[in-house]
Amino acid sequence: MTDSRAPYPGPRVPRPSAPADDRAPGPSAPEEEGPPLFGPGSHFHRFFDDPRWALAMIRATVLEAAHPQVGAALAGNSTFVTHPWRRLRNTFLSLQRMFGADEAVRQREATRLNRLHARIRGTDAEGRPYDAMDPGARAWVVATLFETTVTMCRLGGQPLDQATLRGLYTEFRAYLAVLGGADDDLPATVEEFWPYFDRVVEEELEGTEAVRVILYKLFDHLPAPPVLEELAPLWAAGRSLAGPVIGAITIASLPESLRRRAGLPDVPGGQALAQSAYLAVGLARFLPDGWSSTDGLAGLLLLSPDGDDPRARAVTAVRDGLKRAGALLRLLAPLPPEAEERAPGGVGRDAEEFFRTVLDQTGDGHLDWPDLAAMAREVAGRLDLDEPEETRLYDAFALWWRELQQALDTDGDGRVSAAEYAAGVPSLAGPALIRVAEVLFDVTDRDGNGTIDEEEYRTLFRTGFRREMAEAGVSYARSAFVADFVAFMTGRRGSDAYDGLLAEA
Amino acid sequence: MDGNGRWASRRSLPRSSGHSAAEATVIEVIEAARRAGVEWLSLYAFSTENWRRPRDEIAALMLLVRRVVRKHAPLLHARGVRCRFLGVSDSRVPAPLARDFADLTLLTGANRGMTLTVAFDHGGRRDIVEAARSLLRAGVPPEAVDERTFAAHLPFPDTPDVDLVIRTSGEQRISNFMLWQVAYAELVFPPVLWPDFRAAHFVECLHTYRQRDRRFGGVAPHANGET
Repeated sequence: MTDSRAPYPGPRVPRPSAPADDRAPGPSAPEEEGPPLFGPGSHFHRFFDDPRWALAMIRATVLEAAHPQVGAALAGNSTFVTHPWRRLRNTFLSLQRMFGADEAVRQREATRLNRLHARIRGTDAEGRPYDAMDPGARAWVVATLFETTVTMCRLGGQPLDQATLRGLYTEFRAYLAVLGGADDDLPATVEEFWPYFDRVVEEELEGTEAVRVILYKLFDHLPAPPVLEELAPLWAAGRSLAGPVIGAITIASLPESLRRRAGLPDVPGGQALAQSAYLAVGLARFLPDGWSSTDGLAGLLLLSPDGDDPRARAVTAVRDGLKRAGALLRLLAPLPPEAEERAPGGVGRDAEEFFRTVLDQTGDGHLDWPDLAAMAREVAGRLDLDEPEETRLYDAFALWWRELQQALDTDGDGRVSAAEYAAGVPSLAGPALIRVAEVLFDVTDRDGNGTIDEEEYRTLFRTGFRREMAEAGVSYARSAFVADFVAFMTGRRGSDAYDGLLAEA
Repeated sequence: MDGNGRWASRRSLPRSSGHSAAEATVIEVIEAARRAGVEWLSLYAFSTENWRRPRDEIAALMLLVRRVVRKHAPLLHARGVRCRFLGVSDSRVPAPLARDFADLTLLTGANRGMTLTVAFDHGGRRDIVEAARSLLRAGVPPEAVDERTFAAHLPFPDTPDVDLVIRTSGEQRISNFMLWQVAYAELVFPPVLWPDFRAAHFVECLHTYRQRDRRFGGVAPHANGET
């Protein structure tokens, strides 16, 4: 892994996506009267609101991760272990844009995804190169989404008819085409798709590190979504029961040959378990409208405690009750013997916690370029940046990474361990960090008037301006913004706003 | 809450056992105040100056406070007492204790029975300085500052003026306690030490207070001979 991380993989020019004006969504141009490929009338939209999607997405991710290229990219760059809910929300948002009715939004999202993926490449632990823009790997990701949707319906006891199957397949091929995939990346017809799928499963998939992490680590450590974080003890108790069950369901729903090749256990009664799970969750479709909409759930899970989304107010009453219950639970919990003996470290968080919650975005225990790239990715996503601002932001983060590496990587292995970080904290606020703060200010200050107003603040942090600022009618000036950012990033001062941006699960 | 140390040394016990003995008094006084219809009760538990005490005593005290808070949290909540903690800004306050304070505040935040303010790591001057800082930060022009706007920037601005200050063990000082709010407070100084202070003493203090003639700097509203 050493050679991949040292240099900053500069942004490449992404492959051009299908031109926006004359859209040619894939090879088999749909019949004139067929259902629309995208938008509310499409097949995809029928399944997107299906509650079984939650289980299906886990399964699809495992299938993706079993592909050596995708698995390596996930293991090296993704934040899904440490920030799974943030990652989930971003995925939903992206799918929504890609399958929405608005063509311009779709093209923009495709370009953004391509830029994002163009920055993800390197070599895996065994020295094999990976590249998130690899056509075969990208086609496989789309293939798993399609195959999982089909399997979800089969396991739920309502297999799709041939016409629906064909329609859905055309939509997923069109999705790949918008991303700039070539015509022959995926087979032309659904009949040819199954041999392709079986061949990849048989010949290419393996039990990658990413698969093991998803199946055995993610569910054991899945943090509570922000909206429930007050109930962390309760969440942990539920997780210890639900985690293994979800893992078993997912394993049982995977193709038999993959289970064999990846060395996954055969769960006794797993097949029946998977079927009943999909069936039971499928019944949620009969709940009143809106109770089980993916959109609503995804939004709810991601509501940050102090966000000012209108729905946040709607659930405030429930949340306050939950918070009080959480407070009471904590107060009633017996004191661990001598738990109070922790050194009075003060209000500020200690270096180790800051390293774990903020800096180590990928959760591999080291600070590395992918960690800082993940920060840049999150900021760019929230601000919905275009070029050249996005590259400016990445470049600033890359410079900061070089500065950190030079200052902190004392053993010269190319990355910074928690111990190296703790030893070097005071020397952290170098010029490159200040540069990051300045670039962040520039890209956040959309109208370029030299201050960040309430709207711009909200776009970055998804929460309202701090009350005292709004009351006094002042806005965020450059110097104050830079000072606050640097204070947070050096772990000197906590900040609810930045925690929401970078530390939240 | 004075006299814990003296109470202990009179019994040849370590000072910390005086603090332990104070626990019963705290609970009894809270209950007595609630029954007497007191709506705002403040207890001065720990001042910014108390950090000068021996390190061991402080450590034992912090541990004790944590146990007391956790032990009585459900009862306070059940009685409808809204609890909150004034001060608690020094980094020497152990993080778990601060967490318990925050939890108790959160748990009882919606209660409307009686408001119990525990001054912990509190200093009246510091609160005034904080209010001044807050005014400056908000950019309030000098001519817009009057007593009312200033008070709005103090911590817990909903706290009304203090009517009665009870200082046990015969000490007769304010000792930096809620300086802004005690401007017109009546003061009583019962000689009894805090661990010996009981509900009966509290009622007695209330009685004394009722007999005081509170004029707030003016003349008595009902002079002799008038009806």
